[in-house]
This record gives sequence, structure tokens and C-alpha cells, in this order.
Amino acid sequence: MTAHDMKHAGSDSARLEAVGGRLSRVDGPAKITGAARYAFEQQLEGLTHAVLVGTTIAAGKVTGIDTRAAETAPGVLAVLTPDTIMELNSASDWFGRQPSEETYCPLVREVTFSGQHIAAVVAETLEQAVAAAALVKVGYDETPAIVDLSDGSDGIPVDAMTKEWGDAEAAFAEAPVRVCASYNTPREFQAAMEPHGLIARWEGDELTIWEPSQWLDGMARTYAEWFGVPFENVRLVSPYIGGGFGSKALALAHSAVAAAAAKMLGRPVKLVLNRPQNFTSYGGRAATRQTVAIGADKAGRIQSIVHRGVNETAVDGMWVEPLGSVTSIMYATPNFSSKQNVVRVNTVVPGAKRAPGENPSAFGIECAIDELAYELGIDPLEMRLINYAEQDPHAKKAWSTRQLREAFAAGAEAFGWARRSREPRSMRDGHQLIGWGVAAGTYPVRRAYGEAVVKLLADGSVEVESSSIDMGQGTYTILAQTAAETLGVPVEKVSVRLGDSHFARAGVTGGSRLAGVMTGAVYKAAGQALDELIGLALSDPRSPFHGLQANTLQVKGGRIAAPRGDGPEFSIAELMSTLGREKIEAKGDTVPASFTPEQRYNNYTTIAMALPHTEGEHSRHSWCAHFVEVRVDEDFGTVRVSRVVSALDSGRLYNPKLAESQWKGGIVMGIGQALLEEGIVDRRHGRIVNGNLADYMLPTNADIPDIQTISVGIPDPHSSALGGKGVGELGIVGVAPAIANAVFHATGKRVRDLPITLEKLI
Amino acid sequence: MTSQTIIDPPEDGHFRNGQASNGSAPSPTTLSIHLTINGRDHALDIEPRVTLLDALRERLHLTGTKKGCDHGQCGACTVHVDGERVLACLTLAAQVEGRSITTIEGLADEDGTLHAVQAAFLEQDAFQCGYCTPGQIMSAVACIREGHAGSDEEIREYMAGNLCRCGAYPHIVAAVRQAAEGLRS
Ligand code: FES
Ligand code: FES
Repeated sequence: MTAHDMKHAGSDSARLEAVGGRLSRVDGPAKITGAARYAFEQQLEGLTHAVLVGTTIAAGKVTGIDTRAAETAPGVLAVLTPDTIMELNSASDWFGRQPSEETYCPLVREVTFSGQHIAAVVAETLEQAVAAAALVKVGYDETPAIVDLSDGSDGIPVDAMTKEWGDAEAAFAEAPVRVCASYNTPREFQAAMEPHGLIARWEGDELTIWEPSQWLDGMARTYAEWFGVPFENVRLVSPYIGGGFGSKALALAHSAVAAAAAKMLGRPVKLVLNRPQNFTSYGGRAATRQTVAIGADKAGRIQSIVHRGVNETAVDGMWVEPLGSVTSIMYATPNFSSKQNVVRVNTVVPGAKRAPGENPSAFGIECAIDELAYELGIDPLEMRLINYAEQDPHAKKAWSTRQLREAFAAGAEAFGWARRSREPRSMRDGHQLIGWGVAAGTYPVRRAYGEAVVKLLADGSVEVESSSIDMGQGTYTILAQTAAETLGVPVEKVSVRLGDSHFARAGVTGGSRLAGVMTGAVYKAAGQALDELIGLALSDPRSPFHGLQANTLQVKGGRIAAPRGDGPEFSIAELMSTLGREKIEAKGDTVPASFTPEQRYNNYTTIAMALPHTEGEHSRHSWCAHFVEVRVDEDFGTVRVSRVVSALDSGRLYNPKLAESQWKGGIVMGIGQALLEEGIVDRRHGRIVNGNLADYMLPTNADIPDIQTISVGIPDPHSSALGGKGVGELGIVGVAPAIANAVFHATGKRVRDLPITLEKLI
Repeated sequence: MTSQTIIDPPEDGHFRNGQASNGSAPSPTTLSIHLTINGRDHALDIEPRVTLLDALRERLHLTGTKKGCDHGQCGACTVHVDGERVLACLTLAAQVEGRSITTIEGLADEDGTLHAVQAAFLEQDAFQCGYCTPGQIMSAVACIREGHAGSDEEIREYMAGNLCRCGAYPHIVAAVRQAAEGLRS
């Protein structure tokens, strides 16, 4: 889809270009000049604009929709309601499980949350559609809503989340030192700067969708099932994604509305959610509650952890935010129990937001261990080392690699942790109380099978194709580096094309798996292309290398020669021309040869085939330690983060420059989570009252200090072909507890409800 | 603290946004206007309620200017009008007739040589997804021109109107500092 002009990146030397080099983003020039055209910025003939109408109540029935005024408004082409929109088939879920209902209507009559789509107006221009949508009148029969976690019952137990060993309750009761507290996180939102939206176009029974997507193949499957067309008939295009953070992996109700409208009208339809709709049309992070009880001996060794968690889910959908994921592996303990419930509330189904599960889980355990440290009078960093888990305490397997001790050491050294005075309120600068806090984080290595196409072209250039995506993690760049290094060509010869579901298939970009999966696939495909090139060079009678007594050749800097350099040397372009070849194309994959076509299809279009991180002998995770300084105004209770040093183990980094950006981005989002972000629900109608970018407060530039990141990873051969572990999710995990711990150190107040706002401190 | 300029409506109050809120049908009035964007003249027939942002993105296909919120809350739509930063989502297209508009597409030289701020953004990796980036860069150019890039603190403050959810802030500060130093010398 998208080839990048490398002329601005070309100044980087060969060292920067190799895997592991600090090459600047190859898609950077397009992004800084405005040339990068994001999915729904495509310009199409006859494009129409759709605008959604959402419910203003959270529970009840729609008794009537009066569309007359809207239908006669200027420019209006159609007003869709549950009665007039075409019928769709239900689609399978992301595990590939068949739906229980036969049909699906993305516009509802039965209301289960505020902001649910009930009608859509399609008009010639955006302004006309916006104006006409405001003319749609809706009648309701409202019933009481459950607006948040505290209204619900204890909820529904999720047995699959239970993790237990030893006798945790008894051991806790007997432990000489005990702490027990509850930790809460509010509903949070991904709030990517690019809103959700799409352009849908039908040509006969072929559907093209331009939509920002973290998972082209999975979403294409959903569209195909909704409309009863073959998978191959759906083409998803998503060349750049303006941020996803977990939110852009699924085709959603608004996607169905746009695609149905396009089919019904016979014209392309563009539908972009306005900002408030981005808070209600897909789920953010579920609100969570956890209780963490830790029992320890007098020396600080943990004897037992008892953990109970609850997260909110929807009335008509299930989301489990795995709250025991970090609790169960961070520290060694002979006795452990973790159980989790979900509570149904009137909300859109919550979804994945950066490090789902690990993020709130770490907030609980990493605050609790700090509380234990203070209970015992032990330094919080020392406390963590006393209870260091030498193996996975839950899976009882060796870590593949765990550079967490190294992270603690490197972070503490750079931060100056040794200079910390232990007592709360013991460090100050004028009227500012200073606090230093530490917390650890982790994220499992999610692995999957992948494929890629690598083409060597007649002019010596290289193309890499994959339906995987780049939402800012740097896929374009690291795949160019991988292909360049494997083939022995300069990186500016490589163009990477992503974001088109007609390219080689790819699974979901989520859970920090993409880099590991795709570098492995490109490495394999490029290796195959190189083998074919060398094979031809040695065996083709037209080749200048034919008859040379070499059993292999070497390609370096785009030139091919005998390994000892004692024979002829040609550029790849010269050789291709001598061989009379237009291109050499290789499709490489890491899929087991035994896979059937259906298994392959499921590998890319569902998450059911993902490999467990504890498969085989090892338990695979990335790790980090955050050291944070806060300054709290003694009179006003305002908290500012003034310094962050984080040491992270993501294994081998394919491009440290880009990995550092992702880590820091996670840390910035963690600062927002700790101090600012909270979806506030109106108790009368269950509405998100701060569903916009001013009232749902995101961190701004002025909220963020300089952030130092230190890589302590080593190549992890058990985690990926090239030795990397996850990067993108890791950085946020542990930031909020590090800040909460620093706030305690500064003020002596333990805030266990995020965000830590001033009224909780004064 | 705020450094975004919002253009006041013309004194005669002639241009108003869509009338959807009072429930009546929108006015069929169409205006013929000329906009000077990146040194080129564009003729447009549009309704008075069309924002500069939608005129750029939907009519003129200049999609480098991004829409993040459409409410003046994120800065993604920042462009320059007569050299000052302006939020295109809060500006009606008709308000800026006769004024000189610069968008991200017009920042580099004709021959493709990047503006110092663009080059610094690339070098410092001051973006990830790139969606906030055109707005950041347009703000950064103005921030430097306004004389508000004297220290990291000042840069943070005067760049605070441009949200970046990818969290590129530390690198944005580094890029603005680098570009400001380069432009000064
Ligand atoms: S789109 Fe204009 S400020 Fe957000
Ligand atoms: S680079 Fe993604 S929002 Fe700033």
C-alpha cells in the first residue's frame, strides 16, 4: 500500500540500518510533511457522509424514532433505523466461536447503555448529515440503570481466573506481619488522537473498507460474515493508524452501519465517530476493584498472598480484565489465592487498553508490597529483592529471561535511590513535599505464527508485504531493517508495504506480539528469497557465478560475490538482468507445516491459535522497574511528576530509538492514569459526562518531565526468532503504583483510588 | 498559558455555523470564497457553516491537517493564518478569505527540503502514530517564532495545547529545542 521515500532517512550509517540499529522511522518523512494518508482520508468519487444518533438513556426501550424532519433536510440521502437498515448475519467472536443469534442489527431498540447507536443519517456533505442527525427525535421508555461497579451485586465469578496453591487464607491468618487493602481503578479510555471511523465501498459483492485497524484479517472476517460474502471479497486498507492502544482491533457496530449504508445506497459512505462518540462506541478499560492481602515473616519474606478482584462488564457482553496476572508471578510465595468476579453494568462492553490485566493488576500488588515494606521498616526496593521470584511461582517454570534484578539495579543507580530518606514527609523543597517511589511491571510474551512476502526486484530493490500494521510502534522501520540485514542490501533499497488485507496475512497487532512475529516471518521470507537468488546465481548457466567452485555466495551492500572475494562481483540488479529475472518472490511463514488451510485461516482471523507464554519449559515475560519522583504542593495537594527513570527488559531491541519512544509513551500514559484520567458517569442517565478531550484529562506536554529509559534486556531465544520480547504494553505497567508509592513517601497519605487528585490529599 | 489564536467572527456577524440546534432546516446559502493556502489560490463554493478544517480535509483534500476532536481541545488541526497558529476546527473557512493560510503540506521548501522543525521531529523521533504530528509541528514553528522556546519549561508550557496520546512529549521538547537552537544560529 505504502512505500516510503527514504531520502531523509538515508543519512544514517550502515550500523544504524541493521537490526538493533537506531534508524529513524522510515515512515517519518510522510508523517511530518502531511503526505501520510490515513485510512479514512482516502478521496473517493461520490463519497457520502454518515452521522450516528445515539441513545440518551442507559437502560430501557426505544418507543419511537421520528425521522421525518431529518429525511426532508437538505442533502439527506437516507435515515437508517432498526426498522430500515438491512439485516446482517451475526459474526463469530474473536476466538472464532459461532454466534448464538442468527442475525445482527447494529442499531438497537433495546437500550443497554448511553450513547448506543439507534439511527444514522447519510447525506451528501458532513455538515448536512450533522445537521439532519440533530433533527431525529427519539422516544424512550426508561428503566433504572446500573451505572457503575458500586451499584451492582458481588457479580459473577470467573472460575477460569482462579489461581491457587498452598493454603493462602490459613497462611495469611498465621503470618506475623500482615497488610490488607483495596485498590481501585476507574473507567479509563484509550483516546487515540485519530478517532474511529471508516469509509466503506461496495463494488458488486466486493467490499473495500478503509479503516484504522490493529487487525485487518480479523476485521475482514467479521465484515465477510456480517454480509455473507467470501473472506476474499473483503479488502481492508489501513496504511497508517493514528493510535490504537487496544481499541482498534475489532469491527464494531458503527463499522457495520457504514458498510450497510454503503450497500443500501450503492455509494461509498464515510462515517467518523465524533469525539464524544469515541467514549461510548467501544470500550475503554473496565473499572476495577482489588483487595490484596499479604502475610509475611518478620524478615519480610512473603508467606501468603490473597487476592480478590472485580471488574465491570456490560449487560450484554463479557469483558474480563485479568486482575491476578501480575499478582501471581511477581513475587515468590508458598501460598497464593486469586479469584475474580465481573459485575454487569450499563456500559458499552469494556475493551483492551494498553496492558489489559497487567496494568491494574500491578497497581494492586505493587502498592501492597510497598505498604508491607513500610509495615516492616524495610526499604521498598530491598523488599522486592527479598521476595524476588527465581522462577515463575504460578507455572513453576524457569523464566526464559528475567532481567528484573538488573532493572532494579540500573534504575536505582541512575535515579540515585540510595540517597532516599525512608520516612514519609522527610524530603522537601520549600512548600513542596518530595517523594520517591518504585514499582515493577511485567507483560507476558504473546507469540503467534506469521507470514510475509519478500520480493527482490529487477532494479535490485526489495519489497516486503504484510497485512500487519504500523500504529506508531515502528513496524515499517523494523521490517525494513530485518529485510535489509537478512538480504545484505542497504535499507533505502527496501520498501515495506503494510495495511492491506490482500497482502500476506497477519494476526492481531496487540499484546506486543507484532514485532516478534513479523521480524521472524520477514527474516524467514527474506532468507528464502536470498537462497533462491544464490541458488540461481550458482546454477543458472547464464550466471557469471555458474561453474564457480563455491557452494554459496555472499550479498553485502546490495552486491553479490564469492565469500572469499576472489571471484566476480555484481550488483543484485546486474545479476537479475543477466539471469533475465523480473523478480524473485518468496512467501515465508513460521506456521507449522501440519496446519490445514482452516487452521491457517483461524491463525490470522482469530486469537484462538496464540501460543501460551508458558508453553514448554519456560515462562516468558518482559519486565521493568520504574523510579519516580513527585512533588506535592503541601497546601494545595497538587501532584507533579518531576523525574522518571525506568529500566526495562524487552529482550533484544530491534530498533532502540523507536523502542524508547514506545516505552516513554507507555510511561506518559501511566502518568495520566495515576494523576488525571477518569471516566465520570452521570448517575441519572448513565452518561459519560466527560466524554471529550478537555474534560477527560489526558497528560499534556506541561505534565511530563524528562524521562530516562535504560534497556537491560538480553536476547531471549525462547521468546522470538530474533530474541526480542514485548515493548509497547510494558512501559505503562507499574507506573501508577510507582507514583502512588512516591505520593505516600511525599505525604504519608496512601491513596488507593486512581486517579490521585488533590481532594484525596488535602 | 493558552497560545492558540481563535479568529473572531466578522463584526457584521454574517457567518454563522449550522442551525441544527434550533431544529430548523439549515440555510441553503452557498458562499463562493477564495482561500490562499500554501501560496496557492483555491476557489470554493461552500456553506457558511463549513469549518476551515473540513474545507481543507473534505473539499481540498489537504488531509495533512488532522481532526482529533473538532472542539478546540486537542490541537491536531493547528494551521497558520497570517503566520499565527490557529485551530482550524474552530475557524470557519469563510472567516479566513483573503488571509494567508499555511498547512503542514506547505511547510517544507518546494524542493522538498524539510523545515528545521520537521527535520528535528524526525531526528528526535518526536512522534509515533503521527496523527498529532502536523499540529505539533505547526505549533512548534509558531512557538519558536513567538519566542517561547527559550527553555524546556517554556516549550512544555507553550506546546501544551497539542495533545499527543502516543506520549511523544519528551521527544517533542527535544525537537523544538533543537530546531530553535538551529534557527537561532
Ligand atoms: S481538531 Fe481542532 S483542536 Fe482538536
Ligand atoms: S504521535 Fe500519536 S498522538 Fe502524537
